[in-house]
Amino acid sequence: MDIVIRNGSIVDGSGRPAYIGDIGISAGRIHQVGHVSAQGATEIDATGKTVSPGFIDPHTHFDAQLLWDGAAKPAIEHGVTTIVPGNCSLSLAPLKAADRMKLVGMFNQIEEMPLVAFEQGVTWNWETFDEFVSRIQQDLTINVAPLVGHSVLRLWVMGQAATERTATATETAEMQSLLRQCLDAGAIGLSTSFVDMDEKLQPVPSRYADHAELDALCAVLAEYNRILQVVHEFYDIDLTIGRIDQLAELSLTHKITTTLSPLFINRGDFEGVDRVIARIVEQNAAGARVWPQVQTRPIDISFSFAVPSLLFIRLRGWYRVMRFGTPATIMAAFQDEAQRQQLVQEATSMMPLWSTLILRQVQTEANQQYVGKTLAEIAELRGTDALNAMIDLSLEESLDAHFISADMGHNDDDKVGSMLRHPHVMIGASDGGAHILSFSTYGDTGYLLGHFVRDKQLLSMEEAIKKITSDTADIWAIPDRGLLKSGYIADITIFDANTIDRGPEYYVQDVPGDGHRYVRDAIGVETVIIGGAVAYDHLLGYSDEHRGQVIGAPQR
Amino acid sequence: MIKVRKSIHPSATDTWESIAARALAATPLDEGVASLQSWNLHVFSRAPAVPGSPRAGNPILPSDLIFVEPPLLAQ
Repeated sequence: MDIVIRNGSIVDGSGRPAYIGDIGISAGRIHQVGHVSAQGATEIDATGKTVSPGFIDPHTHFDAQLLWDGAAKPAIEHGVTTIVPGNCSLSLAPLKAADRMKLVGMFNQIEEMPLVAFEQGVTWNWETFDEFVSRIQQDLTINVAPLVGHSVLRLWVMGQAATERTATATETAEMQSLLRQCLDAGAIGLSTSFVDMDEKLQPVPSRYADHAELDALCAVLAEYNRILQVVHEFYDIDLTIGRIDQLAELSLTHKITTTLSPLFINRGDFEGVDRVIARIVEQNAAGARVWPQVQTRPIDISFSFAVPSLLFIRLRGWYRVMRFGTPATIMAAFQDEAQRQQLVQEATSMMPLWSTLILRQVQTEANQQYVGKTLAEIAELRGTDALNAMIDLSLEESLDAHFISADMGHNDDDKVGSMLRHPHVMIGASDGGAHILSFSTYGDTGYLLGHFVRDKQLLSMEEAIKKITSDTADIWAIPDRGLLKSGYIADITIFDANTIDRGPEYYVQDVPGDGHRYVRDAIGVETVIIGGAVAYDHLLGYSDEHRGQVIGAPQR
Repeated sequence: MIKVRKSIHPSATDTWESIAARALAATPLDEGVASLQSWNLHVFSRAPAVPGSPRAGNPILPSDLIFVEPPLLAQ
């Protein structure tokens, strides 16, 4: 045996009760589960630890990061062994050279990936999906099950017209053909968006597609038994239900699986969420396959004035200043008395929100005294209001003052827990690798197993593990993964059930171009095995093994 | 079965007027348009397509869902 894991509490991903046993690994696959008498070249003592299949994260935007970091750090440290990038109509392939900057702009606008990271971290040496797969396979530690984005298909086939009109019959047929090429090259499905805006704050290309075009692309998904992912109007219950019905129709017509994300569960609208779930249950009872994705973590958003935050998206004046400005012009806008007055006026109605924001980070010594205080508290100390305190601090810090709006929603443990448990709900929507300057998208699985399983006891360990391993693999048609079972690929996470959690969020400078992002360290995850080799050990860090695969791609 | 608000997928060339004429045929056109707009604030509040584009002046996108009846609470 290459590796033998001994005496662990085996939670095998099936939902069946845990038991004490060994796992033998040979040639990248699980060879034996139960009692293993053979010695392993590497022996791992898992006494007192939980051994589970590697976690699968079905909603990520690691597309760009995979070009400079084949481990998608820090996903693996949190026990994740397979990620699904390419969600929400955006993938990095297929992509003609002429459209590169358009797509970079969309990733920047929608997923908040800094432009400089693309400039300094990406060598553009692909156009087709197959070439992109070859490119990321060169240095892959984590497994990747990539979606192909609908907006990108439209750009390839229609060029500029992709953001202006519906497709002709010829163009639709070309998109079908292109989708087939992507699925042949390893795409696990198609993603589309009904809500996103591009770098010019215009609707993304997929929003110019009519239902007939989407239907035609789903016919191709049916040929391959692949999935459709959509990001829908998640802020509105009736629209969400309308999209569920649309997905159910596509699912029933083409016999495909569909998923929509995210579904947030906010206080004040539990009745609406219950209607959404009731509709899902009805449609699935009728034979459709529609899976809403629910994230585990509560919503919080951090920001500075230096980048356009989601928090300002409804304040058009503010958002335009931040979206299209440079640090100098943003500073100038708030230093100009007349413009500042206009901006203050626009944002005054949101004073209750500004008052609750917490100053989380500054650079100057003089303002350290305010860190950890709410803007209401700081305003009182400074004899102003919360909004002006936020602007003043930002100017004093040359825009390097960071604020957090904590616990904004999706934070009722009992209700969220009941949704995470629900048999018609998929746990997902982490957005891993996206919004890197707004919040940390890492550690959702640790939060599930620490907070909801251990602390709140709203799910059993076996239920929760099944939800993020074999259920996800089944829904996404990912073969040979998600179970600790003889013959399955050895993607395995070993963790301490007594301590597993997500660590505190912090700001780190590790993005190409000296860029920053918010991350969280894992707590309690000890060893992560991918493709039969140790990819990460909590004491030794990352290994040199690169056993990650693009699932569905021909193995090279 | 839960009650679901009735909606349509617009065609590529649909406008408020063409949808009102089709979906609210028994209602005077201007009233129908006003009703549709009030039931679809997610579309009505959106900036229309820019001048010079094939959809200039029209905020409705081909991928939209357009409600053709009021919110359930108002019914």
